Amino acid sequence: MHKLRDTPGETEEDLKAALEAVVGQGRVYVLGLGNTDRADDGAGVLIAQALMKPFPAYSFSEHEGAEGTVLDISEKDEQAAVLFIDAADLHESPGTIRVVKKENIRDTEITTHRVAVALMASLLEKTGKRAAVICIQPKTIEFRGKVSKEVRSASRRLETVLRELMASRNAK
Amino acid sequence: MRELNIEALARVEGDGGITVTLDGKKVKSVTLDVHEGPRLIEQLVRGMTPEDDLNVIPRICAICTLSHRYAAIRGLEKALGITPPEKAQLTRELMMLGENVESNSLHTFLLALPDFLGYPSAIAMLNDYGDDVKRALRLKKFGNHVMEVTSGRIVHGENPVVGGFGKYPSRKKLDEIKLKTHELIPDAVRDVELFASLTYPEYPEAETLFMSVNAPKNKFGFAGDTILISNGKEVSAEDYKKLTQERVVPHSFAKRSKYQDKPFTVGANARLINMGKRLDGQAKDLFKEHYSDRWLRNPLYNNLAQAIEMLWSLEQLPEACDKVAALDDPKIEPPARQNGSGTGAVEAPRGTLYHHYEIKDGLVDVADIITPTAQNLDDIELHMKLTAERMLGDGKSDPEVRLGLEMVARAYDPCISCATHLVRLKRI
Repeated sequence: MHKLRDTPGETEEDLKAALEAVVGQGRVYVLGLGNTDRADDGAGVLIAQALMKPFPAYSFSEHEGAEGTVLDISEKDEQAAVLFIDAADLHESPGTIRVVKKENIRDTEITTHRVAVALMASLLEKTGKRAAVICIQPKTIEFRGKVSKEVRSASRRLETVLRELMASRNAK
Repeated sequence: MRELNIEALARVEGDGGITVTLDGKKVKSVTLDVHEGPRLIEQLVRGMTPEDDLNVIPRICAICTLSHRYAAIRGLEKALGITPPEKAQLTRELMMLGENVESNSLHTFLLALPDFLGYPSAIAMLNDYGDDVKRALRLKKFGNHVMEVTSGRIVHGENPVVGGFGKYPSRKKLDEIKLKTHELIPDAVRDVELFASLTYPEYPEAETLFMSVNAPKNKFGFAGDTILISNGKEVSAEDYKKLTQERVVPHSFAKRSKYQDKPFTVGANARLINMGKRLDGQAKDLFKEHYSDRWLRNPLYNNLAQAIEMLWSLEQLPEACDKVAALDDPKIEPPARQNGSGTGAVEAPRGTLYHHYEIKDGLVDVADIITPTAQNLDDIELHMKLTAERMLGDGKSDPEVRLGLEMVARAYDPCISCATHLVRLKRI
């Protein structure tokens, strides 16, 4: 999960407006992060997987290799934005969704196991692409636990908004 | 008394600490304190079948996942009297080449290089070294791809099993790997040249011993049944306890290792020091060009060694793919016995990894795992202590000493969940 600063995104309309503001006019890619073995922590991956069927060329999960996916997008000659989706402790009620702009991403730590989202976002920015993180407040990250009702509901809402956004931006 | 703290030793995996206690400019002690809790995996797998053990053991590490899986398979196959089919053996070698490219590209460029170039992180390097960062990510992605093709997934692939493989890679996938490898070799050569051009400070230099497996057939490689020591000795992997002499220290949850009461190094530099003459291709030429006796004293050269090794791994991939593709898929070899013991030794990217098993009535009775970072901890302390003494003796500032210590720790490519997360200089 990422640590972050908060930005607005309360209602579905707010969420749609916040996403439209960060993605600009180009194509929209989704990259789901998290651990599906840990209940709500896997929400980002589950949303990305749900979006893969209608948008196979635009939706990816950490399971396919996050940095490789970002590298490929960064090298495309097109206007584009990447929305990382991840569970994050926002200190809000479970299921709360927040959109964090690139400049506010605080997950800058690169370790042996993981390339930081901030590096991937910076790489995208350097090649003229946009990036933001959509964060979902988890209720439980219990190992082998089930996704909570609140996060399931928030995930459905987010998936609906993203479907609309991707359908409008990614049409040939 | 004065304390100099590094609140977080970034660019390593895990949570631990280093405390350097100083009396004036004299370094009284250096302790490497590993705070990560014990995971008790060796106890967890007791009573499991070898198949279930293999589902648990690789979870120790998400980057050395295939090294752990391979070491466990080697130990279990010895214990169960299994000789793996040739194609299984070749596919295992292939997957290890992929893991080496993936791990070495990440460590050299994104974790170690910023220190040498004077940047706080790879993110800060993007403006000036964007092409190098992208090259590293391209290599990492490719290493991940090889791991996925051979093991079934990028992380924690399930295809390699005791006695063979659940599924072998297709010829089409192997041909794709070959094609891509040829594109990436020039990138890896550039990486070697970049690391060879860096200045390696002399502060940590001290004689030490180097251990690695002895790859069979007098070739360079990442697995073997005997262990080479840089003093010229060769010891059976089954005698791993004599080599590692594990002990517990009060300031750390990680066990420590010494050989004949002395610290030693495992890792890419140890592999090249012990087996570097067996390299071939451009890796051989570049090793010959850039090797010096400073490698025997200075752990910072592990970064250059990793770059050379990554090139070697890439150069091996086309032939390794051809060898795998040339053979029909064999059946999984069943156990020949239900009782026995065996030790698997492989070279994880960060050093020699041992998995020892004792099997009783077909179930795991004893499991013993010794990771490379645990073996390196005493050696890291040795070289950090010298670095602190010499840098303070030279009147270096606290931030300079701090960076010097971090560079030494990071050079070992530690994974604590293997090493350090806090460096503290305590002055008395």
